[in-house]
Amino acid sequence: MSRRVLYPLYQFGNPQLRIFRPNFFLTLVRPGKEQPPDTVQFRIPMEMTKCDVKNYLEKIYSAPVAAVRTRIQYCTNKKRNHLNQRVKRPDYKAAYVQLAQQQTFQFPDIFPKKDGEPEEGSMEAIQEKFMKDEQQRQKPDPRRGGVPEWFGI
Amino acid sequence: MAAWIGSSLVSTLKQRLGFTSCRVIHSEALSSVKNEPVYPAVVPSWTAESKSAKRRRLDEYFNKIRSSEVNDKLRLLTKNQRKKYVVHPQTFAINADRWYQHLTKTAYLPGLPEKFTAAAAGATGQNATTTPSVIDDQTFSEVRSLVCHTILQENFYLKKRKPFLDRSQEHFVAPFLSNLVSNIIRILAKDNPILLESSLDFSPDVNFYWLRGERIIPRGHRSGRVEPIRFQIDDKPHCQIRIPRQLPEFLPLEANVSAEVPVIGYAPDLMPMFRKQYDNNIFIGSKVGDSCRYGHTQFHLVQDRYHRDRLIKAGHAERIEEGLKANAIASLFAWTGAQAVYQGFWCMEDLTRPFVSQAVITDGRYFSFFCYQLNTLALTVQTDTGNPRRNVSWGTDSLPLYEGVSGDRVVGLDDGVLRLLLQFLLNRPQPT
Repeated sequence: MSRRVLYPLYQFGNPQLRIFRPNFFLTLVRPGKEQPPDTVQFRIPMEMTKCDVKNYLEKIYSAPVAAVRTRIQYCTNKKRNHLNQRVKRPDYKAAYVQLAQQQTFQFPDIFPKKDGEPEEGSMEAIQEKFMKDEQQRQKPDPRRGGVPEWFGI
Repeated sequence: MAAWIGSSLVSTLKQRLGFTSCRVIHSEALSSVKNEPVYPAVVPSWTAESKSAKRRRLDEYFNKIRSSEVNDKLRLLTKNQRKKYVVHPQTFAINADRWYQHLTKTAYLPGLPEKFTAAAAGATGQNATTTPSVIDDQTFSEVRSLVCHTILQENFYLKKRKPFLDRSQEHFVAPFLSNLVSNIIRILAKDNPILLESSLDFSPDVNFYWLRGERIIPRGHRSGRVEPIRFQIDDKPHCQIRIPRQLPEFLPLEANVSAEVPVIGYAPDLMPMFRKQYDNNIFIGSKVGDSCRYGHTQFHLVQDRYHRDRLIKAGHAERIEEGLKANAIASLFAWTGAQAVYQGFWCMEDLTRPFVSQAVITDGRYFSFFCYQLNTLALTVQTDTGNPRRNVSWGTDSLPLYEGVSGDRVVGLDDGVLRLLLQFLLNRPQPT
């Protein structure tokens, strides 16, 4: 277990009142470098081990796991705040899970590009028109030839 | 005075004569060398930072390797030390066999080459004496009793202490394999005279270094440049037999093989495979001057970590054959490739004749048999384009030699597996 939590001790014969789930949170991420189709990439808590990841995926999601590899990504400590103090971006642990039984996974395209014009009078069309007008308004006057407005009357 | 006049006359005569003869030679030379260029060819600069200059430096380096002796060739081929991927023949990686096939450009054919299957069919057809690679019944029964004896030696006759953790293969199977190989060679020497001249090495070093594929260097002062990906195998088989003459090929050099070589488009890091920097080595188990410079058979031992029982216990039973195949392909490519380099072949001077080796991988009970034919060493990107040749590997699944040992008896010794082993050892070069 990751963090020490005390539950009432279960003794044989007691009714099962709750299901204990580990308080681990896995983040499925899009791989930065292209991975083989059977490899899935996660960001996992620092305390979590390879065996934990394997058990987690097999027991909770029943995903067949063949192998797990982990690494700890060191993140930068170079950034400074307004008081010129160092600000550390937190490190994280990355896990690469290879699926068994010829299973493959592809990270979904969450924001697919819309093709074609939106319908006349629909919410998207109105929004688009508004954005276009607003952009036009923000543009400087082309007749002034790049002279700032400050010089105008 | 007279003497001076005389000498001056002679000198002028000599001058004239010399002058005339010189003119004759000059005119002759002009007529004969008319079509050849007067000046040396215009070549790119040696020192400039241009592409043509780089190409010239590379070409001259290749010519230097081409024209040098084998010892110098080995030194020049392994001279450039950069980080290289270390290929471990025995590995836990998933799909290791497909990765290794891609890295060594090897097509895999299940089953053994026709030579062995034909011999096995001949043995079952009761015309055993007609084929030279099948032995008579008396020798076979001798070998059979010897194998039983060797198995019992480790399991029954000797009183062995409990092995240390992860050392049971070394403790029980390694001595068994040593006894088995050396005794079978002793018995078979009268049937296969090449074994008399052979050299049997125990735990020899076999190394091979090669280039395959390219990558663009992502960061560092050389970033953005294209560089070949380097690989190194450091293998240590349990024992190997080297012979002074070459084994006959299984297929002709340009034969068309039906099996495809899998292509894997990812960087080898994802296998996973790691990069290290140390001496590049190409070594067949002995130095260049050795007369036994061709491979016959390697015997590999499956270590405890990769033992089939462990894999089955961990629920990876389907990975047993995969691992054995990967082991055979990597080890045999390394050994056969090193033999070819010892004969002066490398990626720019591709093979003119195929090289052949055999391997037996065993965990004491299960034996698997592999043959390898090296058809090409041109694996770099420059030499690989438009090269139809492929290396070929044959292999069997693992076959149990015996069921078990009960008391002082070996139960269920499989004659078929034993015959296969003998056939491997009876393979011999063509008589000259």
